[in-house]
Amino acid sequence: MIRRTANKPRRSLFGPCLICGLILAYCFATLPLVQESKAQQAAPSGVIRLRVRVATGDGNKANGLSRKRFFLIKGSLEENKALVEAIEQQSLISRDCYYRGLGASEALIAWLKEKDCESVYCREVEPEHVEGAAAVPEFQQAVAAGEKEFGSRELARKWLAVNLNANLRSGFYTSQQQRLTALLIKAEEVSRAKVLSVMTDSFGTAYFTDIEPGTYTISNLIPTEVGTMAEIWNAEIKVKPGDLATELPFLISNPGNKDPRDKKNIKRVSLEKPLPPCG
Amino acid sequence: MKRYTITAFVLALVVFFSFSSPEWFSESGSVAGQRRGSRRSGKSRAVRKPVIDYSQFSHATREHQASCKTCHKTPTSNWRKVADFPDVADFPDHEACVRCHRPQFFKSAQPAICSNCHRRASPRDEARFEFRNPDWPRQFGIEFPHDKHQDVIARAQPPVTQTVSLRRMAHAVRPPPQSQTNSLQYNNCEICHSTNAKPPVAPVAGWADAFVPALNLFKASPESHASCFNCHWKSAEPVKDNCAGCHKLAAAPYQPTGVPERKSMRFTHAREQHVKECTACHINITKAASLKGLKPDVPISTCTECHNKEGLRLDVSGELAALDKSRDFNCIYCHTSDVGRRNPPSSHYLISGRPPLKLRE
Repeated sequence: MIRRTANKPRRSLFGPCLICGLILAYCFATLPLVQESKAQQAAPSGVIRLRVRVATGDGNKANGLSRKRFFLIKGSLEENKALVEAIEQQSLISRDCYYRGLGASEALIAWLKEKDCESVYCREVEPEHVEGAAAVPEFQQAVAAGEKEFGSRELARKWLAVNLNANLRSGFYTSQQQRLTALLIKAEEVSRAKVLSVMTDSFGTAYFTDIEPGTYTISNLIPTEVGTMAEIWNAEIKVKPGDLATELPFLISNPGNKDPRDKKNIKRVSLEKPLPPCG
Repeated sequence: MKRYTITAFVLALVVFFSFSSPEWFSESGSVAGQRRGSRRSGKSRAVRKPVIDYSQFSHATREHQASCKTCHKTPTSNWRKVADFPDVADFPDHEACVRCHRPQFFKSAQPAICSNCHRRASPRDEARFEFRNPDWPRQFGIEFPHDKHQDVIARAQPPVTQTVSLRRMAHAVRPPPQSQTNSLQYNNCEICHSTNAKPPVAPVAGWADAFVPALNLFKASPESHASCFNCHWKSAEPVKDNCAGCHKLAAAPYQPTGVPERKSMRFTHAREQHVKECTACHINITKAASLKGLKPDVPISTCTECHNKEGLRLDVSGELAALDKSRDFNCIYCHTSDVGRRNPPSSHYLISGRPPLKLRE
């Protein structure tokens, strides 16, 4: 028996070695891909359906707060404490006071206030805002300058903004943006993550999509004027893996909202401050 | 035997590295590519000078990358004849070309360089192409911060009823909303994206199911300076002379197809019931800071608020049930069959509360 084995010719190991080597190499090469796809599957992203509704007057009928920007900051209220304090303690200046400080006419201030506009880009300047009793003096001057430049009064009215003083045109919006930019930098420093933002639609609804599961702070960063008050929202929300927010939206409101439709669903009310008088 | 083992090991290593670092083995790898390219160009330089086709003007040429106003005038002298607002409405004057291209300009009776602007390269025929020539590939892309513009035009008052027609911002000069059947208009996206007035371009292979979409299925996009100069003519940057503020040189010239890309081809924007504000469905638009990568994607949940409600309509559930009965069923309520024959995405099953079917082959 022993002799037979000793005489048997030795088998070549080339084939098995090559196959094993190739299999091993393939496994090594594809391992990172497998791990990556597993990691992606492990934490499906979520969605936040934010709804902002505010009530003024007796508070019995709330409306969606439309066309206002909200920000999503990584981390809980506690983790973003320094930022939240900075947001809540910032000085307030109302739109009316800003324009009054520039020496704007009462007609322009009223025109902006009528449709809650931060700048003249916000809505159409109708012929009655340029001619007649309801005319805005700043608009009249801009149209006169445009008529000289373009040779057409109609075009001058349509392109009115190009002949308005920069501060009157969009100064309040620009100053708000500067404050916002400073707070955004702070927010990204504190949370050590990119801050996302969305704007509410006409029903006060906005979506944050593709959100990593975790705890977040939703904030408007700069106060929003609602009637005679300034509203500041800082609300904490938890995003669960795969939560597509198909049930109730995350409703935030102001303290004055007594609308029976909202009563039980409000997750957070704003910090409300009266708009300061013009100094 | 040892030799075989070593060969196998080396082979295994080669396979491993070809997976993990394909660029080492690829000829198109950046380093290899650059080297080969430079060697080639050195050779060709030695052999002959490259031939320049002067009939193909390119903004990418280094010498053509000076300030835009070196050549283009804003507005051009002809603007009153062709536009209802001051605009860049013509090619640059001869001076812009002659100052560098005198030899090419006077080369022959029909210099090639003239054909960049003129229909016929003849001193007796001054007719120029329409500016900009629609047959030419585009050399620039547009950079437009959607989010900033939405902020600045924002108004807070929501619409009250459908009978209230909210006014648009008059600064924009744009076509009237023909064929629009829903009266509700908003002072935001519609300033630039009015209801489409041009027939959509058909795909090369033709419309799926021979479904030719009506004009009002789509919204239009700005194609001129009309929606820009009304605010950005002067003082509000980027102003009329700062072309590069919006126009960014593309990596290569391109011809936009104009073919609409849509998953739900049968959706009609201008339908009387579709009166919600744009961002109510296009939920990701307000966070977009650029046009790059911008997709006006609409999640199914925004459709099913009306189209899959018990007691109202069950369009999604109905089609999923039909698909459950017959795997050959095509979803055609929203889609044409090129999309409708695919496996419905999991979101459709989730929203209608149905377990996903086994995927079709």
